[in-house]
Amino acid sequence: MTVLTRFLKSHNMRPADVPIWLFGLAVAALWIMPFIWMISTSFKYPGDVMTADIEWLPRRVTFQNYVDIFTKYKVWRWTLNSVIVVVASTFLCVLAGALAGYALARLNFPGKKALFFLYVASLMVPIEVYAIPMLLGIIKVGWANTYQALILPSVGNVFSVLIFRQFFLNFPRDLEDAARIDGAGHGLIFWKIALPLARAPLIAATVIIFVLNWNNFLWPLLVTFEDDMKTLPVGIAAFTPLYGTATQLEGYAMAMAGVTVLSVPSVLVFLILQRYFIQGISSGAIRG
Amino acid sequence: MAASILERRDLKAPTDWVAYAFIALFTVPFLIFNVAPILFTAYLSFMRWGIFGPPRYVGTANFRDAIENDHVRIAFGNILLYGLTIVPGVLVLGLLAALYVHNRWPLSSFARVCFFSPYVVSATVIGLVWVWLLDTRFGLINHYLAYLGFDYIPWLTSTTWALYGVSIASIWWDMGLAFVLILAALQDIPGDLYDAVEVDGATRWQRFWYVTLPMLRPVLSMVLTLQLISTLRIFSQVYVMTSGGPASASTSVLYEIYTVAIRNQKFGLAAAVSIMLFAVILVVTLLSRRLLREQQT
Repeated sequence: MTVLTRFLKSHNMRPADVPIWLFGLAVAALWIMPFIWMISTSFKYPGDVMTADIEWLPRRVTFQNYVDIFTKYKVWRWTLNSVIVVVASTFLCVLAGALAGYALARLNFPGKKALFFLYVASLMVPIEVYAIPMLLGIIKVGWANTYQALILPSVGNVFSVLIFRQFFLNFPRDLEDAARIDGAGHGLIFWKIALPLARAPLIAATVIIFVLNWNNFLWPLLVTFEDDMKTLPVGIAAFTPLYGTATQLEGYAMAMAGVTVLSVPSVLVFLILQRYFIQGISSGAIRG
Repeated sequence: MAASILERRDLKAPTDWVAYAFIALFTVPFLIFNVAPILFTAYLSFMRWGIFGPPRYVGTANFRDAIENDHVRIAFGNILLYGLTIVPGVLVLGLLAALYVHNRWPLSSFARVCFFSPYVVSATVIGLVWVWLLDTRFGLINHYLAYLGFDYIPWLTSTTWALYGVSIASIWWDMGLAFVLILAALQDIPGDLYDAVEVDGATRWQRFWYVTLPMLRPVLSMVLTLQLISTLRIFSQVYVMTSGGPASASTSVLYEIYTVAIRNQKFGLAAAVSIMLFAVILVVTLLSRRLLREQQT
């Protein structure tokens, strides 16, 4: 009894809270059940999937679905495309955002206010609105099904600028001032002093933009019509029963293996860098 | 406050010409891939343009066609319905989850990961997992509903249910963002506000009603706006789960734009519908900004 009361007290709980606490935990566990079901299905034999009994833990386990998606479909190729596109676009977007955010917070130049206004105003026009006309332009210059067409439109993500601007506005500039007195130029100060100090927004921006780019759907769907240039989310999306390909022939086992592979990178990055991810998202920069 | 002091100091300083080099790496792609396509969209919405031949000016004909187009009308009606189901779902569940995790009871960080994690996966994952969960004959949802005595619901294959099937998946996907934003705002509420009402002997419900909820109003309006806009833009789930069907029952405005442009190759019409969608987004944004400002004053 005393153990229980001490436990309750140390967590600031009243006895009446215990049912709510347990209920909340049950709901939380229920909330990720779709993921558990996805993983469970991905290890089942296709014949064991569409059955009237629910098997949370597969009676017979197989890795064949994973082997199949990599051998029968171009999942290797799509993964490679995704990695190339996401690494390049995230790197460029964060670097560009850090430079621009620093300039907006620290440097003095004509047109600064107008530029910032333009950035913020553009947040009101989501890419979906102009994706089709942009596609026409991309086709016109012969960039359809190319890496540059997949990468470059993701660089101008205003979120990256806002998160760095916010950070540098609130960060004391004593160190940079000291370096300036010693005669260092802005470029040197940015590289040697400001950027190393900006570890937190650097990680937050990288993580968030990585996940955004990894999950990017509409634009890669539009701009890649050759199977070889698809990114992973677009490629795997074809496993949907609607299109009468994989799923209808092989059941959901392979589709679930595909989406498990697709979820791993973004979920891992989130789990490992959770603190930065959540801080970055709730930092207010996203409000624009 | 701090920002304005810094900016004032900047005004007196000499111009840093190097700043243009700093902003170039961002601004050049931004102008080419964000600003220019927006202007091109506006231009195209007044043109008739198929695959062959040059665009031809047709005035407001595209907009008239859009308004008279049954599919477009259905799509605008559908996003209204999506908004009415997804937005309240996300807001209420996000608020409840945030209030729960904010107690910091044991294992609350586990609960936080659970509630947030669907937000970090791609639309393809959401779509395929929920197509499987909502499968009429073998899906998990119908299986457990049958236990409760319900008939099998044809979630994604009937005109009555398809939109709600997609909505359920969307709520599951989007709730994480609302949850995290509300949680952050809860943590910012100063503790002495609670101490003050504690002295007056307020019950837990009264504390929530008179302290927590008023303090959360700004973040709740913000989440409402964000969620409204993201619901107006609903596309990927629809694409993966139902292709807008059956018979346009779950289609969205963006899905119709996609169909008009990619399948029918009517680029002018697609641009006109895009501009109409943008106008709706703009009105929603401005209205909620206004609402926010009125609350703060």
